[in-house]
Amino acid sequence: MSAFIDARTVPEGTVLEPDLAIVGAGPVGISMALALANTPLHVVLLESGGMTFDAKTQALYDGAEVGDPYLSLQASRVRFMGGSTNIWGGWCRPMDSIEFEERSWMPHSGWPFGVDALKPYYPRAQVLCEAGPWLYEKAESWPQEEQPTVALGDGGMVTRWFQFSKMRNSTLPTHFGERYAEDLKRVRNLSTYIHANVTRLGLDSGGAKINELDVATLSGRHFKVKPKCTVLAMGAVEIARLMLASNDVMAPGIGNAHDLVGRFFADHPIPRDTATLVLFDGKLAPYYMHNQVIHGAIMRAGLFPSEKYRRADHVLDSSITIENPTKLDDLGQAALAATASALGVDASQATAYSLGCGIEVTPDPDRRFTLDTGRDALGIPKLKLHMRIADSDFAHFRKTLTELGRQLLASRTGMLRLNAKERGQWLAELDWGNHHMGTTRAHVDPRKGVVDGNLQVHGISNLFVAGNSVYPTYGAVNPTVNLVAMALRLTDHLKGQLR
Amino acid sequence: MKDLFTRRRIVLGAGGVAVVAAAGLGGRYLLHKRYAPSPYDDLLSRLDNRDADAQIGEAVLANIEDFDAKSVSANVRARLQHGSLSQIVSSDAVQGHLVEAKGWVIPETLGLLCALAAKAAA
Repeated sequence: MSAFIDARTVPEGTVLEPDLAIVGAGPVGISMALALANTPLHVVLLESGGMTFDAKTQALYDGAEVGDPYLSLQASRVRFMGGSTNIWGGWCRPMDSIEFEERSWMPHSGWPFGVDALKPYYPRAQVLCEAGPWLYEKAESWPQEEQPTVALGDGGMVTRWFQFSKMRNSTLPTHFGERYAEDLKRVRNLSTYIHANVTRLGLDSGGAKINELDVATLSGRHFKVKPKCTVLAMGAVEIARLMLASNDVMAPGIGNAHDLVGRFFADHPIPRDTATLVLFDGKLAPYYMHNQVIHGAIMRAGLFPSEKYRRADHVLDSSITIENPTKLDDLGQAALAATASALGVDASQATAYSLGCGIEVTPDPDRRFTLDTGRDALGIPKLKLHMRIADSDFAHFRKTLTELGRQLLASRTGMLRLNAKERGQWLAELDWGNHHMGTTRAHVDPRKGVVDGNLQVHGISNLFVAGNSVYPTYGAVNPTVNLVAMALRLTDHLKGQLR
Repeated sequence: MKDLFTRRRIVLGAGGVAVVAAAGLGGRYLLHKRYAPSPYDDLLSRLDNRDADAQIGEAVLANIEDFDAKSVSANVRARLQHGSLSQIVSSDAVQGHLVEAKGWVIPETLGLLCALAAKAAA
């Protein structure tokens, strides 16, 4: 067992020469480091923060935003061991196969690999996320007598399930730093450095290989890491920043020959109280509103557009959750009475609920990060986010909600009110998933993507990117279990390459 | 002991019953809300609560440009020849024939009936 190394105690001028450097000890970095245990590879894991929150370290995230409203760049992520799993909600769900496909109605779509490439890694990712037995698909065919679902009849919307992470001996979701710190310390071929900030990726003069990483601490220490191979795992914002800021050899930055690094940024918009659902009989199984332990997993049901519907009607992905009971206004009462009467159903026990959601956005190259003029405490240029969200993205979701309303009526189950129509209404109640994606998108063509199907930066043989930043399209499900699966896949690739 | 069923008492009692019955029927007539006649009263009679439904109709009309009550009523009348209101609105939902009333997604035929109620109340 070896303790983590505090980079502030590393002698000035030290040079480390591992086989592999992993930059960032969030869920991706930690999962990779654990998966490389007991291999012949000497691995260095570099984490900017310590074991707990520190305001000065967190302030390194500071940046500027222009355009549509978005979260503060400091507030939407966490910079210490475990990364943003220190604040996540634990929502897990694998992506659908459609997410990976090139779709005519989705510009810039198409991943360089399909869901089959991730399937072998999902079981291990599920274990690392501590999300219980894998029940996602099985739950969709549970008998109605056992787990009743909202009767929707035929149509585009179906009940599907989230599973939730729960950290061992805790009520909280798995905080990867806290949960796996001792496991990391037991990995003999791993050296974990905390308070270690990578400030520059050093390219060789030919621009085809990373020679060294400059590391600095907020206390003023500097040392270098000269790895055979480097994986960037600091999240989609910091990865873009480091690649753009490392511009001493190639002026546009690392991997940015085609001006793609930092572009296509995305998050999942979460418009609050997006619709009101009325169930005529007032009967709703509890797992639609609250997490429930079912067959050994913590689960919650949601309403999702099926893949078939998305293909047929060309809508984007979304997930809908039923949130809280709510009251109807006079018009709502009138609409309920008139509709139930016209349909010939009893609505004397009708109950209304507000709906929550997460929605997909269309890839947009102009929703992007650029380097700003200011610098942080380590001298790295800060970022400026140019935020945009298209009206068409809201329109896609409104269409999906309308389909849900149609199905409720057709099955005489209930009805729906769409609470937002105009752009201002959507933006007024807009929150975000804190799921930063897309800034180093994957594509087989270097003109269309920063990394290839193996997540290697195009043209740089020993630099890889892991995490949400490689997403070319974004789906609507929470990313953690997916990005851990992707990290495990990359680990297998690197084991082969570095053998 | 006097006979309870005197001729006078029977006459007074019968008269009283008649007065009460007449007052009840008349009151019911007086209390029942009456609407100005419209060309589509046959359709509006299918609505349970015309005032409330007219509110829905106002919201429906906000989304329909050039609403022509005459052609709409003819259209709705034709639809209702093919089944009960329940059957027609269910069919609307299945086929995706829907309208919005301040965000409420409702079957088109119901929405048009409500819109006619709003027109009649205008």
